[in-house]
Amino acid sequence: MSAAQATVAARPRRRRSEISERRLAAYLVSPSLIVIALVAAYPICYAIWLSLHQYSLIHPGLSRWVGLDNFRDAITSSAFWSSVKITFIFTAISVTLELVIGLAMALLMHAAFRGRSVLRAVVLVPWAVLTVGTAMMWKTIFDADLGFANQVLQALHLPGGHTVWLGQNGYAMAVMIFADVWKTAPFMALLLLAGLQVIPDDVYEAAKVDGATVWQRFVSITLPLLRPAILVALIFRTLDALRIFDLPFVLTQGSNGTTTLSLYAYQQLTQNRLIGPGSSLAVLTFIIVMAVSFLYIRLVGGNIRALAEDT
Amino acid sequence: MNRKLASAGAILACAAVAAGCGSSGGGSTGNTVAGVSSNGKTVTPNMAQNAKGNVTWCIGKDTTGAFSQVVKLYNAQGKAHVKLLELPTSADQQHSQLTQREQAKSPECDVLGMDVTWTAEFAAQGWLRDVTPAIQARKSEFIPSTLQTADINNKFWAVPFNTNAGFLYYNKTKVKTPPTTWQQTYQVAKTSGGLGFQGARYEGLTVDFLELLYSNGGSVLSNDGKKATIDSPQAQQVLSFMQQGIKNGAVPKSASTWMEEESRNAFQSGKVALLRNWPYVYALAKQAGVHFGIEPLPKWEGGSAASILGGYNLGISTYSKNPGGALSFINFATAPAAQKKFFIKSSLPAVLTQTYNDAAVKKAQPFAPQLLTAVQQGKSRPVSPVYPQISQAIYNNVYSALWNGTSAKSALSKAQSQINKALQTF
Repeated sequence: MSAAQATVAARPRRRRSEISERRLAAYLVSPSLIVIALVAAYPICYAIWLSLHQYSLIHPGLSRWVGLDNFRDAITSSAFWSSVKITFIFTAISVTLELVIGLAMALLMHAAFRGRSVLRAVVLVPWAVLTVGTAMMWKTIFDADLGFANQVLQALHLPGGHTVWLGQNGYAMAVMIFADVWKTAPFMALLLLAGLQVIPDDVYEAAKVDGATVWQRFVSITLPLLRPAILVALIFRTLDALRIFDLPFVLTQGSNGTTTLSLYAYQQLTQNRLIGPGSSLAVLTFIIVMAVSFLYIRLVGGNIRALAEDT
Repeated sequence: MNRKLASAGAILACAAVAAGCGSSGGGSTGNTVAGVSSNGKTVTPNMAQNAKGNVTWCIGKDTTGAFSQVVKLYNAQGKAHVKLLELPTSADQQHSQLTQREQAKSPECDVLGMDVTWTAEFAAQGWLRDVTPAIQARKSEFIPSTLQTADINNKFWAVPFNTNAGFLYYNKTKVKTPPTTWQQTYQVAKTSGGLGFQGARYEGLTVDFLELLYSNGGSVLSNDGKKATIDSPQAQQVLSFMQQGIKNGAVPKSASTWMEEESRNAFQSGKVALLRNWPYVYALAKQAGVHFGIEPLPKWEGGSAASILGGYNLGISTYSKNPGGALSFINFATAPAAQKKFFIKSSLPAVLTQTYNDAAVKKAQPFAPQLLTAVQQGKSRPVSPVYPQISQAIYNNVYSALWNGTSAKSALSKAQSQINKALQTF
């Protein structure tokens, strides 16, 4: 749409054709607007509508308007706040680790050496596997009795060879974060690698001539110039992590402090068939994710624009 | 029509007071659930007599091919024509597929294959036809306990299709004489190799906990189904007892992640010497070469044994266009010949007493006599349209008492208040 507006704005001279061009633009974008309305706007509005009602589980076909009661019930319940806390802890730790590891991987992939293309392909493998698949894999590996993790620890006579990884508070969250980092650090690396590749080589050459060390070059050149790419990658990963569902669903079913917001909403909606309260949780999740992305864009919006203008 | 209006009026009145009308008939032995009343659509036995037209049977995936075999046999009779519509393997998925169809008033599924715990919900939603006359006509054939989940407000809302009950498996090389009480079981487990059960936070934990609770004379809901009664001295005894068993090593710590399969693996690999599990383990443990024996579940000291019943019921959808054909097929699928087939070929335990005495059944499923005993003394889980919430309140709090260090007292009082809240669900 913005492209169409830009074209229109660029040609202010011919008035007659401007109108028809505007109309044409409207016609051209209308199919996608209709699709967006059907696919995105309608379900969101419907979820909001559902969240303002209660649907009876006891009396056939009855529902009643309850206003914001479902929201009040949600935000006064400890289950909701515990799921919010869990979701944010998970997001903060996993995204931080992914950034650090992803950056290291990107720098490695960017360096020129033999076998670089093989490395690039190998690094991407975890990201290509479905999350549910990786979750099943880690669940098996961290099985307390027959799992690979404990077998290795026992074989090496290391402590913790009898840990019940998925059956204890703290440990379950650690496994979940580990599985998420393993899977999505390559994605982070890929985005950062793209950022690295647009940094011109002559900047580094000049720094070298001035006698800057490797560390100085990294801190004063790579990081500042990579900032837009880092921020874009962070936005992607943060919003994704806030909606985490598949890992806890497969690994723990939400036990031992792993009930994330999405999982909690799913349990209320699908298992308990509490359509109103469940929808209110979905709407709250939506609001939280929106708020976080709004914050990000407010904080770093200039950088994204700068990145767009640079390239 | 008058009856329909009357029941619609009753429903509206219920809605007005929001607390529900309660039972229509006092002194019943069955379950009482607010809001469940006949929608005027009753299926009588003679409706099945001239069955014709098409019938669709919606049930979970036909993993062994027995469902389609029975459908074929039925269709060969030249009455109605039955089509099998397979739902996903997972019970949660089956539930959501069926509820979606019924919410949309879809006539697609005539015969609904429902887990026993959904029957009350489906009846409360008005999705099932009343099959009381059809059950009454052949009530004595069924094992009485299997009728419990379909019996609400003195009416039957579905026909039992298969049942299931827990066993105590014991490794004969480690345990010489099988224990008969839970106290003995935990004692033996402590000294000779551990007890396994379904300790993960899910439906299986509710089942395993209720087996001890019911055996100790405890309950979850009051007789009128309106109040939670789980915060009782009996429940505290049971929960502290289970906590103690984990503390003293009778139950391994890793049981906190065990569902049916994980606990079976632990038994087969020798991690535990005793195991609470369903009959399906029998054939698999035999194949794995384990030297084991089975017994019906132990009882609480001074109580009587109580296995929780699993299985499926068959209901007739309110929106079915061919209830006569549906009933005719249900009668066929729950008749001795089909029940025998399901039991032998699919290991789906029969709901008819006579099937367990059949020589061919005994040969294929050697545990049949023990299973009959277990089913006869079986108890059903709380019968309520909000059962999923009740079960969650139980397994969440029992789990945190067993594995996350919550005291039995506070876990039970939390479960009590959560169940009471669930019962007030509109």
